[in-house]
Amino acid sequence: MAASAAVALCLGLAACSGDDSGGDGPVKLVFRQFDPESEIGGLKTAVDAWNGSHPDIQVELQTLSPNNIQQFAREANSGSGPDINQVAFADVAFVANSKILQPLDEYLGAGKDDLLATDMVTFEDKTWAVPWTADTMALVYNKEKLGSNKPPTTWEELATTAASIKNGFCFPAAGSQTSAQWFAINYYLWSHGGAFIQNTNGAWSTGATKEQLTSALDFFNGLFTSGATSKSFQAVQDYSDPSIVNGLATGDCAMSYMPPATFATLTKQAGDKVTSAPMPSGLTDGATHLGGRALAVNRNSKHPDQAYEVIKYLTSAETFKTYSQYPASKKTLTELDVPEAQKGYVEQLPHSRSMARYIGSDLTVASIQQLVNQQFSAVYSGQSSSADAAQAILDGLAKGLKG
Amino acid sequence: MSRPGRQALPLVTPALLVIGVLFLFPGVYNVVLAFQDLTPFDAPGDAEWAGLANFQAVLTDPLVGSAAVNTVFWLTAATVIIRLVIGMGLALLLHSRVLHRWRLRGFARTAVLVPWMVPPVVAVACWKWIFDGNTGVLNQFLVAIGVLPEGVPFLAQTSTVWWSVIAIIVWRELPFVVIVLLAGLQSVPEEQYEAAALDGAGRWASFRHITLPSLRPVITVVVLMTVIQTFNNFVYVWLSTGGGPGTYTQVLATQLYSKAFVANSLGEGAAIGLAMTAVMAVFALAYLRVSDRGRVEA
Repeated sequence: MAASAAVALCLGLAACSGDDSGGDGPVKLVFRQFDPESEIGGLKTAVDAWNGSHPDIQVELQTLSPNNIQQFAREANSGSGPDINQVAFADVAFVANSKILQPLDEYLGAGKDDLLATDMVTFEDKTWAVPWTADTMALVYNKEKLGSNKPPTTWEELATTAASIKNGFCFPAAGSQTSAQWFAINYYLWSHGGAFIQNTNGAWSTGATKEQLTSALDFFNGLFTSGATSKSFQAVQDYSDPSIVNGLATGDCAMSYMPPATFATLTKQAGDKVTSAPMPSGLTDGATHLGGRALAVNRNSKHPDQAYEVIKYLTSAETFKTYSQYPASKKTLTELDVPEAQKGYVEQLPHSRSMARYIGSDLTVASIQQLVNQQFSAVYSGQSSSADAAQAILDGLAKGLKG
Repeated sequence: MSRPGRQALPLVTPALLVIGVLFLFPGVYNVVLAFQDLTPFDAPGDAEWAGLANFQAVLTDPLVGSAAVNTVFWLTAATVIIRLVIGMGLALLLHSRVLHRWRLRGFARTAVLVPWMVPPVVAVACWKWIFDGNTGVLNQFLVAIGVLPEGVPFLAQTSTVWWSVIAIIVWRELPFVVIVLLAGLQSVPEEQYEAAALDGAGRWASFRHITLPSLRPVITVVVLMTVIQTFNNFVYVWLSTGGGPGTYTQVLATQLYSKAFVANSLGEGAAIGLAMTAVMAVFALAYLRVSDRGRVEA
């Protein structure tokens, strides 16, 4: 009896785990994305519209937030996982290296030329994902709090302007691995001729001198000592932290930086009190980063053709009518009607460059980010001098690059 | 195999299977992983043999050394001792006649359990808000009563960060200690206190010569269990400080995570895990010995 029950259970489970699109029913695809629910209302609308007009290909939108690419890798390596997976640009190389995605070159064809950040989705001369959205960090400010000051165009101007206002520049300065001070630090370093690592003819090395790093450390620490930034921001990890978003909305903070999706959330709260401008030196080529998300097809998907059809729809202008992100398709980007407050992003985006400059060495971008955030935080909290922290960063990078 | 042995086999097989699949296999696989080179993006079959390289990398990393000190001193010893002292005080209060007389015993016992009902992630999120330098209620209160001239970023400065993390851990994990000690107190015969009172013993003498000796086995179990629970804890430090400021609050569990899932070296993470397991094994063996002794005495 027990054996019969076990067999019946196994058969039942086998039936449940089989291909759910067998027979004459519609093809069912799972599309997984990682942005918070609060930012994907427009995406849901677009997916609903697809499902309404494509009864033969139905898409289930799955949210797994925050980004957890390792979960996707675990599922894909065990033969399962969503058909379409949203992948951060910086993660594409890892999943491509593990061959758990389907190459998309034959689908993309010449369409690849229309896309931004293709260097982030290309690995071993194959395209493993389609760049979908593009973003960068722009300067966001409360117009009233900034007063008669113009948005700064250099980092030095930013320090001077911010020091003249209470909480002139609010930024996430925590030492944790994911702390978003990483972006501002890189922007500063890139605009001053350095980078944390660099690839010269295939050989990786550290990309900044001790003096350049010391200068960057002194600059950011100086924001706290000059009063431009309150010390409480040394415990803030994210640009979407309430102390920053509410601070900008209420006028407690004059300036900060954030990606467009967070800015869209902020404008719902603050209305036209806030606006955007390019980051300091943001109109210099390569002085800011081009981030974003790509769409990849799981190698286990039984319906890659249909999955690519959905990807084509998701990258089209139709999706971006409701989805408040910037498309990574140059053509779709030009078709967008961007509100005046978001002009800072649009002006800066063509000058931004992807993080591909950090991809391909033995060091992961996440581990460089952790090392840098820790050392900057160590200076803010008085554990290290800026010279010692700069040396620690160089030593850590050199050790990591050796593998 | 003897006949009784054959009869017992089907009965113990399910338990052995559960132990083998859920405990033995992961443990052995962790040992194997510590000698391999593998990233979280690879299939296990892609692993390459690394010999002792992972152990060498971990043992020569100065951050692992400071994380070990933080784990032993701040994360474990400090929080266990504070929990024990406050837990004993609360258990005595909950057991006192005063609360019973005021009909507050039920309410007080429920109130003490509240932190335990809050998921650790939510607890940390709430405490981060309380400790916030600008908008946190603690800072606003301290500034309002004139103790501080301006808000202090408790989780961002070295002088306050560990005490803030300890406050979070103690608040969330205290109920376990209180409940176990309270159960221990309830098992001490009332007659002993009455006899001591007749002999002229005061409250302190009763506590020292009756309560503490009676609770010694319970206290030993509580200490061992809380040490085991806390030593490998990751959530409180990672969510509240991420190991910062700088690397000031890095502990072994956060180092393990960083090696395995930030630097993508599962082997180095497994090597740290093995070292943590070895330390925990000592406490686990001590716990088993104490439990066994208790059973024999009973």
